[in-house]
Amino acid sequence: MNVVLTGIHRSFGKNNAVDGVSLELGPGVFGLLGPNGAGKTSLLRMLATVLPPSSGDILLLERDPRGPAARREIRRRLGYLPQSLGYYPSFTVVEFIEYFALLKEMPSAAVPNAVAAAVERVDLGAKAKAKLRTLSGGMLRRVGIAQAIVNDPDLLLLDEPTAGLDPEQRVQFRALLRSLGETATVIVSTHLVEDVGTACSEVALMSAGKIVFRGTPDELTARGAGRGVGDAPLERGYSAVLSAARS
Amino acid sequence: MIFQNEPGFPGSSHDSPGGVDLGRVWTSVAAEVWRRHPGRIERTAARLLRSPGLARALVTTPSLLLPWLISTVVVFGAGALISIGPGQPLVWLFAPAAAAVGIAFAYGPGIDPAWELSSSCAVSHRMVLLTRAVAVFVLNSVLGLLASAASGAAVALTFGWLLPMTAVSALALAAAVAARSAVVGAGAGVAAWVITVLAGQSASGQLTASVANAHAYPPYLLVAVCCAAIVMYAVRPERGLM
Amino acid sequence: MDDDELIAALAAGDDTALRELFTRHAPWLAARLRAALPSPDVEDVLQETFLAVWKGAGGYRPRGTPQAWIWVIARNQAALLLRRRGPGTAPLEQTADVGIDPAEAAVVRADIAAALDGPEGQVLRLMYVEDRPVAEVAALLGVPAGTVKSRAHRARSMLRAVLGGTR
Repeated sequence: MNVVLTGIHRSFGKNNAVDGVSLELGPGVFGLLGPNGAGKTSLLRMLATVLPPSSGDILLLERDPRGPAARREIRRRLGYLPQSLGYYPSFTVVEFIEYFALLKEMPSAAVPNAVAAAVERVDLGAKAKAKLRTLSGGMLRRVGIAQAIVNDPDLLLLDEPTAGLDPEQRVQFRALLRSLGETATVIVSTHLVEDVGTACSEVALMSAGKIVFRGTPDELTARGAGRGVGDAPLERGYSAVLSAARS
Repeated sequence: MIFQNEPGFPGSSHDSPGGVDLGRVWTSVAAEVWRRHPGRIERTAARLLRSPGLARALVTTPSLLLPWLISTVVVFGAGALISIGPGQPLVWLFAPAAAAVGIAFAYGPGIDPAWELSSSCAVSHRMVLLTRAVAVFVLNSVLGLLASAASGAAVALTFGWLLPMTAVSALALAAAVAARSAVVGAGAGVAAWVITVLAGQSASGQLTASVANAHAYPPYLLVAVCCAAIVMYAVRPERGLM
Repeated sequence: MDDDELIAALAAGDDTALRELFTRHAPWLAARLRAALPSPDVEDVLQETFLAVWKGAGGYRPRGTPQAWIWVIARNQAALLLRRRGPGTAPLEQTADVGIDPAEAAVVRADIAAALDGPEGQVLRLMYVEDRPVAEVAALLGVPAGTVKSRAHRARSMLRAVLGGTR
């Protein structure tokens, strides 16, 4: 099990961003859905060891991130794409990815090959030496994905990864997710329901800090039969579960 | 990892001729063509710090980059050349302010756009902060001492500004981290120094009172230590500074 | 952009030109090399070839045959690889049928063998490509016949090691 969460709470003042979440995840692609403010980003930040929980236990890659040595080891095998990733405008694509490969303590000898592979996997080979300030929003997002996968992580956390990607790029991205999910735990947080449809083996729906649904995309679709609102089956399931949770 | 079947890879649209993995070949070629070769300073730093990541973070510090370094040298040079009296060049006046601004722009949540991502990396951003701040401080001290020595200043003025510089820099860093803004940190440091100098002058009638007066040393030390503690507390791992 | 323009762009430092050249030429180079070498060696040779193309683009003079220029680089890299391995390496597996005409495969092998610089290559060319008797080769090279025979023996061993042929 790469992720084991037991009774995780996180509050900011009086706001309970995450209100009792328990989860166990092995390899595969896992979708985290929910409206804005449901607690997805806070949960992801806790998994990325950026934010500690207010209470509860976390085990990441079979280690407790409270200890500095364990945290460091987790972070070496972690890949994280935050919701808003700042860029160093004067860095090139390769320099930016290399910078984080080094900060993740990849062995120096392996870095050039890993960076080249990551650049090609997100289809930015033609822009490898372009400065980040010359890139479009979608390309910058792909740079973000590349730095997250450069160290071949066992735990990959992606917060709204498809922002700015065109439909063809989203197809390529889902293919990438599937191949990564063969050996790693990939958690994709998104409010775009159709993103997860074919790529995820399992999804969870969060509302007001709690997980209100967990199952396969087909099971989510089934929950919407005859009840939900939306154009696509998954959307109907999504809205059906949400409205049931709110009532 | 097999890339051949993933779109976009050079050679991916062709069958692998006789089992040759063209994707792997291209990755190896690209790795050599695209690689960055670290300079001598970075390689030395990597050996000393025992961390290539920390060394890379150090040489990309905004206030250690060449344009910044040049302007720092100019400031200290000006301080060495301008004198307001015999044996009283203005190095002591400029040094603390220059260091404060340099440290505020060394690192931190305010200046680093990829802060959130950096805080999820194995190289502790606390270490990065510490390394960068120390490097900037040491550099400014060395430049200041050289400028002082070259300008033939009185002994008290040659070294007297080191402790105030430490205090003002620590204050600038603490303000930058607390406000998450390098500009606020720089402003706080410079403002604090100006106030100190003017207060010293009005209290004793001498402009150089803030560096020449030994009674001022304990307060400087106290400020330095308190601000350093604030910084360390603010970026401790458990807090998850956003 | 045609190949000449791409190579000129390469010489000017444009790495995207290398990517385009690789996409165009790596497949046929791989197929040709595969007629003489096993896949892992082909991969190594291709890697060295394109790095050599990257570094040597400045020396290219457009003569209308960029493919030939690239092939010469690839062939020389193949010879370098074989020379580094040294004679007497264990025989490798039968090279796969990659759809190359056997006559062309033979030409490729002879081409690589000829690039094996030095005494073995010379003897190989004189004795087996130009079909001269030992005495004539000895006279041409100014060495005793015994030396010619031992060089030929070494050259055959090297080729055998590379091609995995019958003893």
